[in-house]
Amino acid sequence: MAMLEIKNLHVEVDGQKILKGINLTINPGEVHAIMGPNGAGKSTLSYAICGKEGYEITEGSVTFNGKDFLELEPHERAAEGVFLGFQYPVEIPGVSNMNFLKAAINSIRKYRGEDELPAVEFLKLIRAKAAELEVDPEMLKRSVNVGFSGGEKKRNEMIQMAMLDPIFSVLDETDSGLDIDALRIVADGINRMRGQDKAILVITHYQRLLDYVVPDFVHVLAGGKIVKSGDKSLALKLEKDGYAGIGIDENAA
Amino acid sequence: MTEKNHFDGLNYENVYAAQKNMLPGTELSWLNDIRQSSMTKFVEVGLPGPKVEEWRYTNLTPLKSETYEIADKSPSMSADILADLTVQENTGSKVVFINGYFSEAHSKIVSQSGIILKSLPDFLKSDQNSAQALLSSLDKQNSLEHLNTALMTGGYVLQVEENVKLAEPIEIFHIATKGAEAKALRSKCFIEMKSQSSACVIEHFSSPDGFDIWRDNVTRAQLSNGSFLSIYSFQCEGSEVIHMNRVLADLGEDAEFRHQSLNVGGKISRTEVKPTLNGLFAKTNLRGAFLGREGSSHDVFTHMKHMVPQGTSDQIYRGVLDKGGKSAFQGKAYVAKDAQLTNADQSNKNLLLDRGAEANSKPELLIYADDVKCSHGATVGELDDQALFYLESRGLDKNAAKGLLVEAFIAEVFEEIDLEAVKARYLDLARKWLDKG
Ligand SMILES: Nc1ncnc2c1ncn2[C@@H]1O[C@H](COP(=O)(O)OP(=O)(O)OP(=O)(O)O)[C@@H](O)[C@H]1O
Ligand SMILES: [Mg+2]
Repeated sequence: MAMLEIKNLHVEVDGQKILKGINLTINPGEVHAIMGPNGAGKSTLSYAICGKEGYEITEGSVTFNGKDFLELEPHERAAEGVFLGFQYPVEIPGVSNMNFLKAAINSIRKYRGEDELPAVEFLKLIRAKAAELEVDPEMLKRSVNVGFSGGEKKRNEMIQMAMLDPIFSVLDETDSGLDIDALRIVADGINRMRGQDKAILVITHYQRLLDYVVPDFVHVLAGGKIVKSGDKSLALKLEKDGYAGIGIDENAA
Repeated sequence: MTEKNHFDGLNYENVYAAQKNMLPGTELSWLNDIRQSSMTKFVEVGLPGPKVEEWRYTNLTPLKSETYEIADKSPSMSADILADLTVQENTGSKVVFINGYFSEAHSKIVSQSGIILKSLPDFLKSDQNSAQALLSSLDKQNSLEHLNTALMTGGYVLQVEENVKLAEPIEIFHIATKGAEAKALRSKCFIEMKSQSSACVIEHFSSPDGFDIWRDNVTRAQLSNGSFLSIYSFQCEGSEVIHMNRVLADLGEDAEFRHQSLNVGGKISRTEVKPTLNGLFAKTNLRGAFLGREGSSHDVFTHMKHMVPQGTSDQIYRGVLDKGGKSAFQGKAYVAKDAQLTNADQSNKNLLLDRGAEANSKPELLIYADDVKCSHGATVGELDDQALFYLESRGLDKNAAKGLLVEAFIAEVFEEIDLEAVKARYLDLARKWLDKG
């Protein structure tokens, strides 16, 4: 059974048609990449999957592990195992990363009928994940993303992903703003999320992330539709020839 | 007879005439004289109506049609109420008032040398001369305090001798029971800090939901040179209570006064904090949060008076209003002509959880000195939708996400509190208020 099945998805924001019939099937074990010009609707797709308010689904369906996903609240979708790495992680003054993550983990566990994670285990886990992603644990005591550099914010997204251990991750331009070493560290983090029962959708503009996180499928989203799909060689061709090289007018969006 | 824009308070003369035998110290003629003249002064002015500038956000119309008598003595109370209110692990003195009367049975006075702590009725018996001195010299009384002086039944006296540090915080419990329906509960508290002394007082106001009760509490604090006083106030009144709490503090040289309040209950809630900085280098630090929704109006009125140079005052108030809730923060700051090198800061931010909530903020600065640093800021905002979705996308339901953001919003008010159990209680009460929503 497919893990994520998106059929003929139409999305409007503020009365504006952004997505105009997206079809996408992702199976367990797969890594998909979506590329596409600025303003094509990539982030919109990620928000629609996760249920952001104001993203009105006018047509189509999103099914996750057989469940009608459009019926669920955003936090329920998270608890079903979906994680969104934000293109622009939000700063939340006054809420510490630690408290936020503890609340998130326990809320998800509660949804799944599991007991709270004991504080000691939580601490052990977060220390381990911070070490893997080479993040100073002191940073986790600070307010969520407040005063973090662009790259630190993206790494913080990866810590959250690692802590929440999702089944399906949508990573929206997680590679942008990262220095060369950080890109490798983050890519390793993403690869740790791969697995037989898991799937990943990376949204990116560049081949360089895909050198580390090798995708099974590459899609090109333009003007609110997936206009081309292929294997990893499609990304390489795009890198070489640009969108015009595969017959897409950059301004079609 | 009544002053312009005030309601007539004539009925209270009858209350006084009918119930004066129930008042503590009724055998003391000097006290009767004070009560009688206070009543006369109250009647001359009356109750402030909404057209009185200081009261424009607190509509006291409910007080116009009802006359609140003094509650009956001898109420009973379950011990649970007290246990729920007590700040964890505090082994200091506990002074309990039930329906306005001191309850010796529920109280526990821990003796410490250099410290006098007595209920006002006891003090009237044991320390007549001091009591007379205290009650004869009440200045700056407004009409409501005149009424309080005339009819108060409760209150306490705390005196801390020179160089003495109160070992543990004193907890004051102002508890009302169902028996206080349609009654007014009045208390007057005196705190006298001699030079270089230090004390901390935690006060709790608690009453049942659904009962129409008028609470009126006045605290007068005198801080001599180099003394320190910190008051924590938890207002968790029932849904129909009219709650008034006034604090006046006079600060000498180098004295420091801190007041931190949380208001989560009541139908009409009015907190007044009025420090006067009379000595060089005096410091005040006011912190407060008020949380309101349908059926509640919160009004915080501060009046900071810098009379002499080199004083510092710092105020941070945060309001959170859900659907139907109303609030007002009025921050008046006065800097006298001679009070050079004053530092006076004031900040009031309000968070509206719903479009149907109302927050008013009115700073008023009267600055007559020219070399001062004064600032004030007031904002009204809504929850950040982006932050809400970010939290939800990590698995928190909408209420939990809101809760985290609200807690973060009011955190600034409590972050400097060094008594962990007190800090925990503030957060706990804020969370309980949120959960009720
Ligand atoms: N509130 C809104 N009202 C109208 N149009 C909007 C709104 N929000 C987004 N859009 C438009 O939707 C389109 C798709 O935006 P989206 O963020 O999904 O693009 P993207 O493919 O992620 O681009 P990028 O590569 O720059 O991140 C853009 O043209 C954008 O301007
Ligand atoms: Mg985008």
